Amino acid sequence: MSALAKYRQVFLTGIQTSLVYRWNFAIRATFSLLHLVYIFILWGAAYAGQTDIGGFPLAATLTYFVVLLILQFFLSAANDDYEISEEIRNGLINQFLTKPINYFAYRLSLYFSARLVTGVLSLVPFLCILPFIGPKLALPAGDHLALYAVAVPALLMSAFIQFTIAYCFGMLTFWFLEIQSFIILSLAVEAVLGGQIFPLDLMPPWLYQLSSWLPYYYQMYFPTALLTGRITDLSVALQGLAIQAGWSLALFLLARFLWTRGLRRHTAVGG
Amino acid sequence: MSALLRHLRIWLASIRYSLVRAMMFRGDFIMWALVELFWMSVNVMLVGIIYDHTESIAGWSKYEMLLLVGTTLLVQRLLMAFFWSNLFELGRNVRSGTFDFFLAQPGWPLFMVSTRKFDLDGLVNVPVALAIVVYSAQRLNLDPSAAQIAVYAALVVCGLVLHYATLLAIISLVFWLQSAKGIEGGYFGLTEFSRLPREALRGVAQVVFVYALPVVVVSNVPARLLIHGFEPGYLAWMVGATVFWLAVAVAVFNAGLRRYSSASS
Repeated sequence: MSALAKYRQVFLTGIQTSLVYRWNFAIRATFSLLHLVYIFILWGAAYAGQTDIGGFPLAATLTYFVVLLILQFFLSAANDDYEISEEIRNGLINQFLTKPINYFAYRLSLYFSARLVTGVLSLVPFLCILPFIGPKLALPAGDHLALYAVAVPALLMSAFIQFTIAYCFGMLTFWFLEIQSFIILSLAVEAVLGGQIFPLDLMPPWLYQLSSWLPYYYQMYFPTALLTGRITDLSVALQGLAIQAGWSLALFLLARFLWTRGLRRHTAVGG
Repeated sequence: MSALLRHLRIWLASIRYSLVRAMMFRGDFIMWALVELFWMSVNVMLVGIIYDHTESIAGWSKYEMLLLVGTTLLVQRLLMAFFWSNLFELGRNVRSGTFDFFLAQPGWPLFMVSTRKFDLDGLVNVPVALAIVVYSAQRLNLDPSAAQIAVYAALVVCGLVLHYATLLAIISLVFWLQSAKGIEGGYFGLTEFSRLPREALRGVAQVVFVYALPVVVVSNVPARLLIHGFEPGYLAWMVGATVFWLAVAVAVFNAGLRRYSSASS
């Protein structure tokens, strides 16, 4: 069996497994609409009496949050860190040590399958409310094609960074019994520096510049900003893409390092 | 009366046990306290960022808004300390059958379910939330009377009961659903609205989140008390909503209890 066929099979199995939890995903997606209502009310009130905030009209800011929320369903490594942690703790990784299966590639295949299912299912409630929120949204005006083209590799690398960070947190189980607090703390940092609470460009310029050198910026804000017109300068977009590639490589190397070092501490027991 | 005292003693014993446990896992306790502190900072940061670009939100100035957010955080920290873990685990326990153990304990089932655990990490951030409220009040040059402060404290307790009731009603749906996974997301989705000034909600949103559900009144009434003084209508509304929603939540829980038929083999 070729390497690709092996992981394709994992991907297909992952889709079947994810579909078992379709109602949970649907409930989560529906609840996320509550968050969207909150966003619309808060920012609508903040814009009252003024045409723009940070150089963007209300429609652009609302579009930013809608696109971000949809991308979260397609990209967020929501459960992967916990699942990896469980597999290490329960000794389920032992089976991968004796088989010609790369654990990172195995988990990455499962991540892609789960995100595909959650992403597509999340579109259902969004499509239902689109007739109501559509008139309040606005995609970037003018020729934005080159930036959309940059957004494609940005989205793929964003997914890779999301997964690899979750994978690295899962690897911490080799050293710590309980990693939940690490994950929640990371989620909080990611929520702010990934632009989920507010568009990062509204921060003071020095803080925005600083954040653009961190991996969190490339998890969610960067692709969303490209798609919604918050980044319009092609050279800035390409520079961002280069930094994102650098972070993808660095995190991948870190993941490999943690795996090899972690395995040295790992003890497989049982019959 | 003796039953009440007995339950109080059980609660105190549970708190003592939880404190000992928290001190056994000190690293974990510090980490969770930091997590909560960070999330609180995020809420404050959002207010700061928005008010860097605007003067007011629905007529509320920056420090009025901060006072509102501080009040919300105060109530939420108390909920996290006393009830969150207990109700969160209720969902899992009903599914797994572990809920049986609570029914077998020598106390009212709802009381036993709600008070088994106490999270110190939630409580250590209560002073931080209080500091946000006090700081905002100072920046607004507010000088509340002792009566105002006492009523504010009582309203915060009402807020805690309202949050508890909302969460209990939502989690109790697990008696009817197969899994509680994702249900608690509904609670977080709803509580976001408590960080909004009432005046920001209009039309259908006002009907749903101000009048039908208690998610806006829970924070707005205590904050308004400090900013605008006594407003009898609002106070009556808050107390009435607390009694009503607690009754609804208990009714939902009891109905679920009657439906429960153990999941163990």
